[in-house]
Amino acid sequence: MYNAIQAYVRFIYKFNRTVGIFAMYLVLVLMGILLFSSISKGVGSPQMWVIEMAQFTMAAYYLLGGGYSMQMDAHVRMDVFYGNWSAKRQAITDAFTVLCLLTYLGMLLFGALSSTIYAVEYGQKNYSSWAPPLAPIKIIMTTGISLMLLQVLATFAQNVADAIGKPFDVEQHPEETSV
Amino acid sequence: MSYEMIALLMFSSLMLMLLTGQRVFGAVGFVAVVASLALWGDGGSEMAFNATMKLMNWYPLLTLPLFVFMGYMLSESGVAGDLYRMLHVWMGSLKGGLGIGTIVLMVAISAMNGLSVAGMAIGTSIALPEMLKRGYDKRMVTGVIQAGSSLGILVPPSIVLVLYGMIARQPVSQLWLAGAVPGLILAVMFIAYIVIRCHLQPELGPPLPKAERDLITRKEKYMLLGAGVLPLFVIFSVIGLFLMGYTSLVECSAVGAFVAMLAALVKGRLNFRLIHVTLRKTLGVSCMFMWIIMAALCFGAVFDGLGAVNAIEALFMDEWGLSPWQILVMMQLSYIIMGMFLDDTAMLVIVAPLYIPLIIALEFNPIWYGVLYTVTCQIAYMTPPFGYNLFLMRAMAPKEIGLIDIYKSITPFVAIMVFALMLFMAFPQISLWLPELVFGTK
Repeated sequence: MYNAIQAYVRFIYKFNRTVGIFAMYLVLVLMGILLFSSISKGVGSPQMWVIEMAQFTMAAYYLLGGGYSMQMDAHVRMDVFYGNWSAKRQAITDAFTVLCLLTYLGMLLFGALSSTIYAVEYGQKNYSSWAPPLAPIKIIMTTGISLMLLQVLATFAQNVADAIGKPFDVEQHPEETSV
Repeated sequence: MSYEMIALLMFSSLMLMLLTGQRVFGAVGFVAVVASLALWGDGGSEMAFNATMKLMNWYPLLTLPLFVFMGYMLSESGVAGDLYRMLHVWMGSLKGGLGIGTIVLMVAISAMNGLSVAGMAIGTSIALPEMLKRGYDKRMVTGVIQAGSSLGILVPPSIVLVLYGMIARQPVSQLWLAGAVPGLILAVMFIAYIVIRCHLQPELGPPLPKAERDLITRKEKYMLLGAGVLPLFVIFSVIGLFLMGYTSLVECSAVGAFVAMLAALVKGRLNFRLIHVTLRKTLGVSCMFMWIIMAALCFGAVFDGLGAVNAIEALFMDEWGLSPWQILVMMQLSYIIMGMFLDDTAMLVIVAPLYIPLIIALEFNPIWYGVLYTVTCQIAYMTPPFGYNLFLMRAMAPKEIGLIDIYKSITPFVAIMVFALMLFMAFPQISLWLPELVFGTK
């Protein structure tokens, strides 16, 4: 049981790290799209697809990057009290409160799934002059949220393991743990 | 249950959740989804994702990762170091000259950067060691850096004002312009304080010794002015092109990110590793912001749905008989208390859905309030004994600077900022003059 969970945690870390590194390069794509937008306006032929394309890139960026940002421990906490606790106490508290985080992500995923299914079934299009279909980006967003959920499940397992004093051995890249 | 009670319950459970130390976005999102389910049952089950879709369609938010990337890129490019060396040589002969130079450096960094943390990191790594080496008093230096870095979110481009604009549904370009004049006024007030204080107590900020100044030839001095060219070019390509109407708000952040890479290239620092590391830091910070905003939008939507703002306004105005100005002052005081244990994004997303509609209902100008909000937040982070920036400074500064030194150095600057805040409150025109000049009166 312990080994199986450890294998899961390791797998998710590796997987989300790969996805996250892909996602972080989307900033350059975003930059390119927007530079293209201002140049195309400058030469007098503004393109109507750039704004939505940039928005889609942005949504993919932070949702696909979510899991990796959890690994980097990038998310702020209010640490007036938390910061002064022992590592063990932090782990025990986290093991409980992370369930709240999972509840939120679960609801997020529920909404994402029902919205994506609708978009696929009815061929939903964005309400704009370019009118791109929304299904692809919604599928990407749902994937991102699912990966985040899987990552937080791994975090939950890690918190419990830390709390009972048997932490998992997960390969972490040292330069990635502090932002 | 009455609406006020539900609103109160939501806020107190949020506070409680935050105190457990769980990640802020989890705490906010959890309270939001539970409240939406409790209030609307099945109908509330899709609110969390609807907020995500709403977020996607909010165009100005695209500036966030690009400005963050730009800030990290510039601080790695060494532009700030050169600029400081120039200010150092040109202002070193004055009493407190390095302090003045630091404030000027901070204004320049603020104009290239949207977050105050970046300014503080540059200040502690570049200006702090120089000033300590030149015999500046500990009680002076950390205050200068913290005060200077607080300008980061007032002087455009400002990420905090982009977020404020999103929540208050106000145009970001007007908010940016509104922050510019107050930011410069604050900088001038800081400089005036340093000049006067160092004149009265020269031991706090001694001028560069004559011997050292003579080492620098006149030619070298003029050569150093070249260091100012690159920052000016960066500032112009971001804010200049935006104000002249060549780029939109979002495009100007892309230009900024690109120009920052150019600057690093000019300085010979650009390589694949730097880009990779900068992109990773950018992802961390952007995800932190975006996931909090996503959760907060859901929280805000539940809150809007309750219509609790009207109930609270009625409570304040009719039952307690408060005037709009008393309510405004009360709000600002509550920020000071919250600033002790919340960081700026968390504070913005948690209280903004309550305060901003109230401000509009009280018929105050929301653009003007954006400036007040920003200044008050900065005061809150710097007010001893608890404050977000104070601890950040403690973590970044060398060991010999204790928390007590930081408290002592920051107090006069906090006093200046409180005075400035009252000025901005009493004279809305200080903030509104520039946006009205550019965009015309409403």
